[in-house]
Amino acid sequence: MTAPKPPVSIDPLKRPGPPIGFGTMVTFVIGVLFFGSLAAIGFTPDRLIEVPAGVARVLSFFWPADMAYGWDRVLPAIVESIQIAWIGTIIAAILSLPLALIGSRVLFPRLARGVKLISATARAFPEILLAIYFVPIVGLGAFAGALAIGISSVGMLTKLGAEVVDSLDFGTVEAVEAAGGSRLLALRWAVLPAVLPEIVAHWLFRFELNIRASAVLGVVGAGGVGGVLLNTLRYRHFDKAAAVLILTILVVLLIDMLSGEIRRRIIRS
Amino acid sequence: MSERPMTSRSGAIRFHDAGIVYPNGVVGMKDLDLEIQPGEFVVIVGSSGAGKSTLLRAINGLNTLTSGRVEINGEALNTGSTRQLRRVRKNIGMIFQDFRLVKRLSVMSNVLIGRLAHVPAWRSMLGLWPREDREIAADALKRVGITDKAWVKASQLSGGQQQRVGIARALAQQPAIILADEPVASLDPVTTHQIMRDLVRINRELGITTLVNLHFLDLAREYGDRIIGLRFGELVYDGSARTVTDEDFRDIYGRDLTADDVVEDEAVEGGEGGGE
Amino acid sequence: MIPARPSPNWPLWIGVVGFLAAMTVWSAYGIGFSASELACNIAGGTRLLEESWPPDFGFLPRLAGPMMETVYIAIIGTVVGGILAIPVAVLAARNLTPNRPTWFVDRNFMNILRTLPDLFWAMLFATAVGFGPVAGALALTVFTVAVISKLYSESLESIDMGLPEAIRAAGGNWLQMIQFGALPQAMQQYVSYALYAFELNIRASVVLGLVGAGGIGMILETQRANFEYERVTMIILAVLVAVLIIEEISESIRKRLT
Repeated sequence: MTAPKPPVSIDPLKRPGPPIGFGTMVTFVIGVLFFGSLAAIGFTPDRLIEVPAGVARVLSFFWPADMAYGWDRVLPAIVESIQIAWIGTIIAAILSLPLALIGSRVLFPRLARGVKLISATARAFPEILLAIYFVPIVGLGAFAGALAIGISSVGMLTKLGAEVVDSLDFGTVEAVEAAGGSRLLALRWAVLPAVLPEIVAHWLFRFELNIRASAVLGVVGAGGVGGVLLNTLRYRHFDKAAAVLILTILVVLLIDMLSGEIRRRIIRS
Repeated sequence: MSERPMTSRSGAIRFHDAGIVYPNGVVGMKDLDLEIQPGEFVVIVGSSGAGKSTLLRAINGLNTLTSGRVEINGEALNTGSTRQLRRVRKNIGMIFQDFRLVKRLSVMSNVLIGRLAHVPAWRSMLGLWPREDREIAADALKRVGITDKAWVKASQLSGGQQQRVGIARALAQQPAIILADEPVASLDPVTTHQIMRDLVRINRELGITTLVNLHFLDLAREYGDRIIGLRFGELVYDGSARTVTDEDFRDIYGRDLTADDVVEDEAVEGGEGGGE
Repeated sequence: MIPARPSPNWPLWIGVVGFLAAMTVWSAYGIGFSASELACNIAGGTRLLEESWPPDFGFLPRLAGPMMETVYIAIIGTVVGGILAIPVAVLAARNLTPNRPTWFVDRNFMNILRTLPDLFWAMLFATAVGFGPVAGALALTVFTVAVISKLYSESLESIDMGLPEAIRAAGGNWLQMIQFGALPQAMQQYVSYALYAFELNIRASVVLGLVGAGGIGMILETQRANFEYERVTMIILAVLVAVLIIEEISESIRKRLT
């Protein structure tokens, strides 16, 4: 009854598996999404030629930069952005530290779920949307910006902090509890000393991100250098806009370098 | 410094029909009846998985009995009561195989962790340790001979030194009982003997009931007063270390003995001290 | 006897604490931080919150179009930026770059790209090519290059150089070495970075419209300017839901890949 199975032939030039590979399929899907999106936003081939021309034209107006305006008006605005970022980061650090500790899934399985919800919600709000609410509450200006930055940073810092805590070896926690210490004391003496350097490094990293975030808050009137850039571009003062860009790039690079160096040292200690 | 009483000399332990079945069905302890007198030095042997750790951890409530009971000084341990648990643990020091020091803290701070249960919580939260407790910690460090390392970070110590800090932390509790869970398993032979001698000396000097889990038979014979053998969670041997035979060990392990069951280098004498 | 506790490095401590305190006071003063003002304005704030609740659900249908536009912008930005990021990352990887000057220039280029926030690029492109989604897509392209190239070049620096060197030894040229020896090794990281960038882009594209670069942010800006806070709330809720859904999808893809 049973017919002999045909011998499995292997074609050395043909790769085994389904006729269309996984990679091909992914490429195809991404391609469809991409070209569909291009068509949907009206990016036609003629725009393709238009765009570089427009960029080149605007760029040509940027030089020479009006650095006098830069020193007088832009630098104070950048300083304000830094101040906003600093206060925002401090607010977030103070709020997120306890949340990160009780957000540990290993130590507080029940509380952690609630903390995760809080941090996910806080992370979902871009700073600028929060600023939209804070501006009418505390008035136009940098204070609203700092609050917005602070609240929106809490989410990420809590999440990262809780991850640092959960990556810990919990033997020391057990050692503290075996010595008759409470869970709270275990947090203070076993967890905190072990995780604080990493957590502080995360604060610094968030400060770097917050400088960029605070730079754009001016767009909704929450202080900082973003408002200055928006105005210079709106009135087509490209030389002044160039000053904004140059100074922003320099200051952010400088702070990134300093902060990065400090972070490396903290982690190494 | 004045000699300070390091213990209340009240470390009696008693298991009644005690059993532990883990949630995954593994039997960690079976029908255990065991009585340990205050001041005894007991070595617990058995192959890995025999329930040595389970036994120790049942004494300070890190493991909960699923049947029977364990009494510390006549008081039945109830792991459901956090309060009682903390009170009982206050008098029981524990030493771990992997030391379990907070690496980024100084040796002194690590030893002071042993004082947490004795100090008001607000003081220890702020690190405002009372003078008396700091002296107790210093005394504990002296007893293990590493006072010179008091302000060094724990991460900078060698394995043997770290285990000494672990012992000092347990001593700082001024405990009635010390539980040492494989205290020498991650140490080299030289340090192993030093640490075992420290444990014996502390037991003799302070009369602290000491239970030590050991994997190595020669160590058990050399340092133990009383040897308890466990196999599959059951007590299969209980007797003096002086009379225990290789035959007994074969029964406990359920197999012939090999070179892995002893610390090879035994030519170590008089290596007391810093251990650098 | 126990040795005396070594005294801490006081100049360092005082310096650090002093700097932190001074920075905080100076910043708080500079931005007009005041608890009393906050307390006074809370009344106004509650009024605003009352005004912004309940959200204007009737407004929801008008959000569908702009919301899709936001997603389109993010897709274009991620795809184009993701492709452009590859050469930028390769040239900035110490072990793959053909020569030191190239590495130096590319690395600084990468760092400069990273300094400017997404909305700055959006403002620039909106000025250059006119308001609308094209400006947004361009801004996110640059932003994506900045995000992916940095992460990817770090991954490339940590690959095993055995295979690329073997290809070189077998007579392959530099491009072949990169294509067959280096890129496949860090493929998984690349995909996960690309998905991460996509999540960031979805978030970013929501607000691009605030400066006229298309997407749902443009409606948000008009409603905000007119103090239609019920509608603002509606938009923000819609955005949150969309962002969470997309992140969920992206994360599940990332999990399956790793």
